[in-house]
Amino acid sequence: MTKLDVNVIIGGPQGGGIDTSANLMSRAFAFSGFDIFSTREFHSNIKGRHSYVHIRARDTKVQGLKYPPDILVALDPDTIFEHFEDIGKGTKVIYDSSFATSELSQARMIMRDTASRIKSVLDENKLENNVNGMLEYMKSHGGILFPIPFEEIVRKAVDDGVPNRYYNTLGAAITLSIIGIELESTKEAIKHIFGGKEKVIAPNLKVVDEAYKYAQDNKLAGESAGKNAKLSQFLLTGNDGAAIGKLMGGLRFQTYYPITPASDESSILEEHEAVKWLSGEAETLGSGGVTIVQTEDEISAVVMAAGAAMTGTRSATATSGPGFSLMAEGISFAGMDEIPLVITLYQRGGPSTGLPTRNGQSDLLFALNTGHGEFPRIVLSSGDVRECIYDSIKALNYAQRYQLPVLHLIDKNLANTTELVDGIDVKKEKIYGRNEPDGNGIYKRYSLDTKDGVSAMGSYGKNIFWLTGDEHDELGHVTEDTVMREAQMEKRFRKVKVAAAEIPVEEKAVIYGDKNAKITIVTWGSQKGPAIEAAEILSKQGINCRILYLRMFMPFPSEFVEKELRAGQTNIIVESNMLGQAAQVIRMNTGVDISNRILKYNGRHVTVDELVDGVKRIVQGKEKEVVLKNGA
Amino acid sequence: MAHNFRTDLAIDWCPGCGDFGILTSMIQALGEMNYGPQDAVVISGIGCSGKTPHYVNLAGAHTLHGRGIPFATGVKLANPKLKVLVTGGDGDLLSIGAGHFVAEGRRNTGLTIILFDNEVYGLTKGQASPTMPLGMQTKSLSKPNVYNRVNPVAMALAAGYSFVARGFSFDTKQLKEIIKRGLMNDGSSLIDVLQPCPTYNNINTMEFYRQRVYKLEDDKSWDPIITESTKDPMEKYKLANSKALEWDEKIPTGIFMENRTIPSFTRRLNEYIPNYLTSPPATQAISDSKGYTIVDPVRTFADKIV
Ligand SMILES: Cc1ncc(C[n+]2csc(CCOP(=O)(O)OP(=O)(O)O)c2C)c(N)n1
Ligand code: SF4
Ligand SMILES: [Mg+2]
Repeated sequence: MTKLDVNVIIGGPQGGGIDTSANLMSRAFAFSGFDIFSTREFHSNIKGRHSYVHIRARDTKVQGLKYPPDILVALDPDTIFEHFEDIGKGTKVIYDSSFATSELSQARMIMRDTASRIKSVLDENKLENNVNGMLEYMKSHGGILFPIPFEEIVRKAVDDGVPNRYYNTLGAAITLSIIGIELESTKEAIKHIFGGKEKVIAPNLKVVDEAYKYAQDNKLAGESAGKNAKLSQFLLTGNDGAAIGKLMGGLRFQTYYPITPASDESSILEEHEAVKWLSGEAETLGSGGVTIVQTEDEISAVVMAAGAAMTGTRSATATSGPGFSLMAEGISFAGMDEIPLVITLYQRGGPSTGLPTRNGQSDLLFALNTGHGEFPRIVLSSGDVRECIYDSIKALNYAQRYQLPVLHLIDKNLANTTELVDGIDVKKEKIYGRNEPDGNGIYKRYSLDTKDGVSAMGSYGKNIFWLTGDEHDELGHVTEDTVMREAQMEKRFRKVKVAAAEIPVEEKAVIYGDKNAKITIVTWGSQKGPAIEAAEILSKQGINCRILYLRMFMPFPSEFVEKELRAGQTNIIVESNMLGQAAQVIRMNTGVDISNRILKYNGRHVTVDELVDGVKRIVQGKEKEVVLKNGA
Repeated sequence: MAHNFRTDLAIDWCPGCGDFGILTSMIQALGEMNYGPQDAVVISGIGCSGKTPHYVNLAGAHTLHGRGIPFATGVKLANPKLKVLVTGGDGDLLSIGAGHFVAEGRRNTGLTIILFDNEVYGLTKGQASPTMPLGMQTKSLSKPNVYNRVNPVAMALAAGYSFVARGFSFDTKQLKEIIKRGLMNDGSSLIDVLQPCPTYNNINTMEFYRQRVYKLEDDKSWDPIITESTKDPMEKYKLANSKALEWDEKIPTGIFMENRTIPSFTRRLNEYIPNYLTSPPATQAISDSKGYTIVDPVRTFADKIV
């Protein structure tokens, strides 16, 4: 096994093929047998504004990203300006040498606030307001410059007039050769991403050859990183994971109204509406596909999914902050009428439209309280792509088992994180059979004759029953009777107690790292991976710490969390919001007040290094609250 | 034995309310269609009209204000063999639920929507509804209406409903026939029903309508049906629209248009989703005999493998 651990940021204009570069690099790494982890940052814009992919490749499992990157690849001048703060000692800056004289004033797609920050840094350092000036600045911060004659190299490879159409391939290929990724892996990656399109593959392969040759001739090529055994693996985003999990979990109907970063999940499902069945018995049972409906708004999306659910179909919807706000009344209705419904909530930076394409974890308290009145719900959260898969199956199961709305939280960072997943276990989660009416006597949808609060659920087309958003009797007709009201309220809430007891604690909270460590980092969502690695690094440096990772907020693992946090001496919460919402939930449920906080609300992903640094600052008693700032 | 479509629940509408006539027409239509107890469902929003599902002995849902259409669409799309009726008020369907009303025309899912048109918000005590004309003042209002009205029939025609009709709640014979025709339509049907609310609307009374309504079908040449062989469908659509605009002196009832050339949403989905109509979501198996998934993630998501 050869050693490798490299962080690359590759940036360019949104819509300019930055994904092609990133896909090429991920696959080349994967084909060389390395693990990869990447995330994508972009503006709420279709073409022109700065977008980048932060990717890390490693010979062992990678679950977080690090700053400063080892390599910054600029496919446009804006990238050099935008990432002015991201250069560390030894960061290689790879760019098209023709950018050198590009003026900052011409970089119109840089947001004004950012441009003015860039300008003041250049001015303070008495540097020219152009790429050259910025490159000087980068050099003074340890950056090593790699000017590459993009046009010249492409022209050597192909002569079809528009060289810049190959710049994505060239930028990625040069980078890969500098890292030492074998030419064969990069070529294989080209064939893979342009699958079957010979006309596209051939010139791109030539560009790759020419890029590797240029790196060789100019002594830029890195020592070979070697090649490890490649496994047959899935390359998946969080969105992909949720889509796959939902389908495996029996989802057959999903509604959505387009919104970032949620609708990718529905689009992925729609692209795979022709479901393929496992061989054997499954093949004889499987038929049909999955129905995905784009609705007129999110109110319709949640209510339509509820209607479908009452036919006995496993149904869900997926949305993000603004759409989720619109769903509030529908969620209350699903709670009142005990409708098994999954809502996948992709959190992004709020409030209002907020940071539509950026990360945030500020909807936790809202998810716990969405909708008027008191009703039971389950709120769970995923922290990596594997969890997105299996938690999506679980969410559908919980909805059926307890007949209530299940809110599954995934943050934008995780939605857009790409990970290699080696194999999906089709036997990991069973599909719960629904509690169906036995057919004896008059069917009572909201029968009070139930120990666990769950009444048999009939379905449209099979049983006669009513449901109403009003308080109801056992048949589902409206009532305002005092005693029936109490009985139905108590029945509904009995389900929460049962769920709390039935769902194993490891599905709610998990400890990672040294169980006896005296420092506990408490976190949730996409900080899971970075926090685990940060704890490993800190422990090696003598700051022994562990992670308390939260997966379920309702029902909340109060006893477990209280016990673990009381045992620790220093507790630190890490969240991507301003109020420390998970810390508030912990305090509300356990009384434990976590006063040390590491928070991030600039909309960008949390990196391992800033977490290590933040924990140190707190442990050394310098600060109680650290706000993380990484990210362009 | 024929199914009894009435529940034994006490009905709490005001005496003389037009809603009774609509319920009667629905019950008769369901009976004459010979539906079994599992064949149809009745879905409503909120309002006096929203109580209807409880009075019909079929599976039902009394959902949220304005949300009858999306709930019903979910039911129909998950189990297309069901006949799905929607009962809603003019506030419910044309104000808070107006977006769904229009979207449903574009979908043409296959719902039979009965609009209880009383020009007021009954259940919240008589405020002006979207069908009340500008300047009208019922006894429930402190000043004349400052909004103008929308025309549900014209709106349904514009939105794309494949069956658009109007009935009068005190002519249950005609209304029953219209509902039956609506139920036979493969796409979505909008039936606007003139429904006096004697408690809050002292203007649009039973007498008011009796003096004005006339039946389109009384003109023997009236043929609202558009099929593939109709020579000039646009001409028929125009005629339906011009009839829809008649009000004041004479108010037309009956079928304005029945366009059999617009495919229903379920048929459209069937073009793309494998076996959608024969294996719709509600009837699909999701696990094997041991309780494990039957979906193959490797073959289904082969494009995600590197
Ligand atoms: C979201 C919401 N807003 C307001 C209400 C209060 N509300 C109940 S019924 C109703 C109006 C009913 O009028 P209409 O739809 O015309 O039905 P009608 O009672 O006239 O049959 C309103 C506003 C509600 N139930 N839900
Ligand atoms: S308020 Fe009007 S619409 Fe409601 S039940 Fe009474 S008469 Fe009928
Ligand atoms: Mg009304």
